[in-house]
Amino acid sequence: MSSMDGIFDYIINVLVFPGGLSALILGLVLKGMDRKAGARLQRRVGPPIIQPFYDLVKLAGKENCVPETARKFIFLNAPIAGSISMALAMVLIPISGVYTPDASSGDLLALLYLLAVPAVVLMLSGSSSGSGFGALGFSREMSLILALVSVALKVGSETGSVITFSLSEIVRVQQVNGPFLFDPVMHPAFITYLLFVPAGLGVAPFDVAEAETEILEGPLLEYSGLIRTATGRMRMDQAFLFYFKWPEITGITSLLTVLSLG
Amino acid sequence: MAKSPWVYRINAGSCNGCDVELATTALIPRYDIERLGCKYCGSPKHADIVLITGPLTARVKDKVLRGYSEIPNPKVTVAVGICPISGGVFRDSYAIKGPIDRYIPVDLNIPGCPPRPQAIIEGLAMAIEIWKNKL
Repeated sequence: MSSMDGIFDYIINVLVFPGGLSALILGLVLKGMDRKAGARLQRRVGPPIIQPFYDLVKLAGKENCVPETARKFIFLNAPIAGSISMALAMVLIPISGVYTPDASSGDLLALLYLLAVPAVVLMLSGSSSGSGFGALGFSREMSLILALVSVALKVGSETGSVITFSLSEIVRVQQVNGPFLFDPVMHPAFITYLLFVPAGLGVAPFDVAEAETEILEGPLLEYSGLIRTATGRMRMDQAFLFYFKWPEITGITSLLTVLSLG
Repeated sequence: MAKSPWVYRINAGSCNGCDVELATTALIPRYDIERLGCKYCGSPKHADIVLITGPLTARVKDKVLRGYSEIPNPKVTVAVGICPISGGVFRDSYAIKGPIDRYIPVDLNIPGCPPRPQAIIEGLAMAIEIWKNKL
């Protein structure tokens, strides 16, 4: 009985909170805030913050086209696999006071590998689309990832060698000793992480793979309809993951919990 | 649902006057159509509103029709400038394959050579209305 409950809880975690639905919503809100902030900085009004929701709904309503020369199976299923991996990655991250996953050692490694999946998905989408632009995007993304993964492993191994590879352990240590953010030893890792975030997301100045002016969105070029929403959603989950992950691990929220309780 | 019309430009042999208007004066931050959810998209597969400039020259006709066929429904076709509507200043030329609506169904015409930015934006707003009705 308890194992059945456990599985049910896990599925809810993956699909609704903190994975799946909530990651999608929060990621889209983040993107909306980004566009709105950019607009305000340019002294104009800008789209409403929930604009990315409208975009995603609109893309879902378009016809689903598959190019003739595309490898249909990979083309259609790669974005879905990417979305699922992001949902699974979200489940691994503890949110202090709100959500604790089943503790296991080696969480951090699992997380790093899961974070590499969207990049691989982008490469697969590009190469399976049968278009020249897609192939270009594929090769560019590959170059980007080769540079990226070494950075990610550096960050991961620094944290891992100092404490442990288990995420719950990391959060708990910070609840006891204070957040890592205030510990000078962790600062190089933090700076590396700040550089890693835009590269992992494919945001300027690291957007060679999806450069809109050069290769017309590369791997995403041939996608339309519901599948396009899957790729968009994958990116959104990724955004949420990156922006909220490190505060958890550096224990900013645990700091807040401690402050509010004490 | 109808709050995110994405715009795609096709240059069908235009002199670039209308394209300059589209790129640098009309659909720019100054008039901020992004608050309507409009933005340029790089791929025809993501487009809702198609802006076509230029008389359809013979050289480019097949490619324009091919590119146009890549755009999924529902879509709104807008002819920007007098050239796609009637041929404009080039209308008696040997190199022109005629007004656009001989080949593709045009929903909205924005005449002018080039049209004023305000006219383009008004046309875009009308196109959004047409698009909402098509959904």
